[in-house]
Amino acid sequence: MTIHNRTSFLDRVAENLGRERRTEVKPPSYSVKPQDRVFQGATQAELIEKLEAQCRIIHTSFERTTLAALGDSLQKVLAAFEGSRKVISAGGPRLDEFGMRGIYEALGKGGFDLRIWNEQEGDVTFAEQAGVGIVFSDITLAESGTVTLFNDKHNGRSISLLPETFIAIIPKSTLVPRMTQAARVIHEQEQKGNPVSSCVSFITGPSNSADIEMNLIVGVHGPVKATYVLVEDL
Amino acid sequence: MKVSLFITCLCDTFTPDVGKDTVQLLERFGCEVDFPENQTCCGQPAFNSGYKQESIQAMKQMITAFEASEYVVGPSGSCVQMIKEYPHALKDDLEWSERAQAVAQKTYELTQFLVEVLQVSNVKSTFQGTATYHPSCHMTRLLGVKDAPRILLENVEGLNLIELPLKEDCCGFGGTFAVKNAAVSGQMVEEKAQHIDETGAEYLIGGDMGCLMNMGGCLRRNKQDVKVLHIAQVLNSQ
Amino acid sequence: MGIRIGDKPYAERIQAGIENSFMRQAVSSAQGRFRSGRLKAAEDLGDWEDWRTLGEEIRHHTMENLDYYLHQLSEQVEKRGGTVFFAETAEEANAYVQEVAKKKQARKVVKSKSMVTEEIGLNEALQQSGCEVVESDLGEWILQLDEDPPSHIVTPALHKNKEQIRETFANKKGYTKTDQPEELAAFAREQLRKDFLEADLGVTGCNFAVAESGAVTLVTNEGNARMVTSLPDTHIAVMGMERVVPTWEELEVVVSLLTRAAVGQKLTSYITALTGARLEDETDGPEDFHLVIVDNGRSKILGTEFQSALHCIRCAACINACPVYRHVGGHSYGSIYPGPIGAVLTPLLDGYEDHKDLPYASTLCAACTEACPVKIPLHEHLIRHREIIVEREHMGAKSEEWMMKGFAKWASTPAAYKLSTKMARTAMKPWTKDGQIENGPGPLKGWTESRDFPAPAKKNFREWYKQREKRRGEA
Repeated sequence: MTIHNRTSFLDRVAENLGRERRTEVKPPSYSVKPQDRVFQGATQAELIEKLEAQCRIIHTSFERTTLAALGDSLQKVLAAFEGSRKVISAGGPRLDEFGMRGIYEALGKGGFDLRIWNEQEGDVTFAEQAGVGIVFSDITLAESGTVTLFNDKHNGRSISLLPETFIAIIPKSTLVPRMTQAARVIHEQEQKGNPVSSCVSFITGPSNSADIEMNLIVGVHGPVKATYVLVEDL
Repeated sequence: MKVSLFITCLCDTFTPDVGKDTVQLLERFGCEVDFPENQTCCGQPAFNSGYKQESIQAMKQMITAFEASEYVVGPSGSCVQMIKEYPHALKDDLEWSERAQAVAQKTYELTQFLVEVLQVSNVKSTFQGTATYHPSCHMTRLLGVKDAPRILLENVEGLNLIELPLKEDCCGFGGTFAVKNAAVSGQMVEEKAQHIDETGAEYLIGGDMGCLMNMGGCLRRNKQDVKVLHIAQVLNSQ
Repeated sequence: MGIRIGDKPYAERIQAGIENSFMRQAVSSAQGRFRSGRLKAAEDLGDWEDWRTLGEEIRHHTMENLDYYLHQLSEQVEKRGGTVFFAETAEEANAYVQEVAKKKQARKVVKSKSMVTEEIGLNEALQQSGCEVVESDLGEWILQLDEDPPSHIVTPALHKNKEQIRETFANKKGYTKTDQPEELAAFAREQLRKDFLEADLGVTGCNFAVAESGAVTLVTNEGNARMVTSLPDTHIAVMGMERVVPTWEELEVVVSLLTRAAVGQKLTSYITALTGARLEDETDGPEDFHLVIVDNGRSKILGTEFQSALHCIRCAACINACPVYRHVGGHSYGSIYPGPIGAVLTPLLDGYEDHKDLPYASTLCAACTEACPVKIPLHEHLIRHREIIVEREHMGAKSEEWMMKGFAKWASTPAAYKLSTKMARTAMKPWTKDGQIENGPGPLKGWTESRDFPAPAKKNFREWYKQREKRRGEA
């Protein structure tokens, strides 16, 4: 049995609500929709501006590049990096779409130990030792500066979590105004019967805490540094 | 326009001058002011302490006293707000809740009445000095009167208004709170007194006698040289 | 630990709070930052009131249909390979988690911050079954090392300063560096990383569960909740039964409200939505997922005038806006839920007997109601609690009861009222000096300990008015 005590529990809920159990509920309609007004009608260029401005607030470096120059840009970002030479990257179809294999090969020659998730054993251990984790944003939220990851077999949760530096490659085409649009995509997929991935990570910059005297400390359990690389893919 | 003065028990007992200024101010703008003799206290001390049945006795007295009035105007956001609560408090009693609704609808706080009903923004008063204004919680948050006092004060000739830091913070009065939780209330009013001190103002102006008694009592105990005035006194100053 | 903290009576707790000047300084400056953050976030949106309205409507709709959405949630979790346990009481919830821990032969449990697990006392239960429990939120870890209860629902160690934290780390963990927050945090990172990697079981709370997907959402900044849900083989999420939303569309609204109202962030660093266990082809994330849905007194609130208290999204905006909280701190409330929402919720969940003073720990200034992102009428709930304490529970002081009966008589008898306002000055004469009372009798004593009280006027208003009418009549 995988659901315990449900009937008695929900009967009690319904009883306290003063009615029979409900087996059907009409989808609610709400009187206001302020979430749709945020950056309504903004162009892609305007959204990029918003994203870049938000990156300053969330302690995240922001780079812009083209598909052709992506390798050089990554090289530059990694060159400035001091720490473990181990780099873990998400895999999947975008490796080829963005020519990542070639880029990673070049980085490997430059002294980096590169590994792509789910191609060998011991990914979590490697990620724990890695200095850098590289992911591709699935949906990017301009308002909050958030990278959305649908974690799956190519895109482990640990990549964006365990290494000290977090690099997100952001295809320009993934940019939307805010979380509203991302939530809508997931909701629509659910309604079509396509279940959401086992873990959806909305990541906004490096980890931080204000637990000690309300001082903002950037870098606690998760990454200490974050860089977004926006790629013109449109 | 006929206006019945709702004096509030605090003004009646402690600061009759505020009542006089309120009457004169309303008369200056053509109101015919009367004073229903059978009014007492709005019932808030009992209501806010949980003694609803006891407060209802006060409510019924007040409803009876003001039922015949055209408008009811009082120099207190908090006490006026209490009257606005009556219909809800009496909701289980159809007859009284309807009577309460009728009274609540025609009841206004003084500055609210001047600005919203009489459409006055300049009362043509003169007051020389530097002052800071404390917006009381019930007046602003519950009654929703935020702008009227400021509009009227800004047009007082000679008055130099200085913004009170963290002005929206409660002064610690809270009716029976100041008695039941006297120590906490004392700390809160002390903080308020410090903010008043930071403004360097000679006068503290407010629209609720409860809050003013609380802050005034603290300023006096601290020997802070700040005079406390009800807004009616400033608006009626020539 | 349970919902109650400490065993001192209310008056002593309050006094201890007032006398703790460091804590008050810390709370005051934190409130200042929270306030400006919240106001800035609201201002940025421009239409904050619409957002609040939407938040209220979402929470209201969900609560009215709670049985339906919890059913849907549990179906979805099951579909995704998870197990759901509905727990009526804290004991049932704890026993279930203990049982899972036993089955998994778990020795080490890592936790991310969760108020509901504090409420049910889960840590103690797990320790009793021989598990080592490690809190991994920085604030919670500090408190765990120091055996101190939380004083705030978002920043639990708000009452501690960095010197105290350094000392705790030094005494309990052999820390040797300075009290710089960055160094303290780096130490916690290093220490806890080992725990994350070694733990057999990860326990989290749940900010919101999405019924349509069976997803448990965690809203954090430090990344510890992601560690807890990525590394151990088993994940148990514990949620208060009210923390469900219908779909992702509602989720994003309440999350936006939470992060803005709590700390003024557009979103926190990590919003993580976890649906069941990891898939077969995935290499990280838990192999086994359990969702424990806790009632523990909540269903009693449904259908009552306090139902909207269950709308709370635990953002602490009311706590951060409360001037009473600022002066007394979280521990004064004697509950893990402090501030205005704590004063409303605690008596509902744990009864009036031990918490009858809480609803009175408010001036009813309504700063809480104004700050609440889902429009819970907190100050009205506090008044209603007071009515119940007086009229139903008969817990009011006898002296107060007599005074209020006298008040009712006085305020409903114009002749008595008139006479008293006339006589007030004479009656207060023994205590009056220069028109002021500096050392008042009876109920005035507390007031006059810190401030003066004015003596009644020589002539009350109605006498002046009567004389004026008379003069006018003669003229």
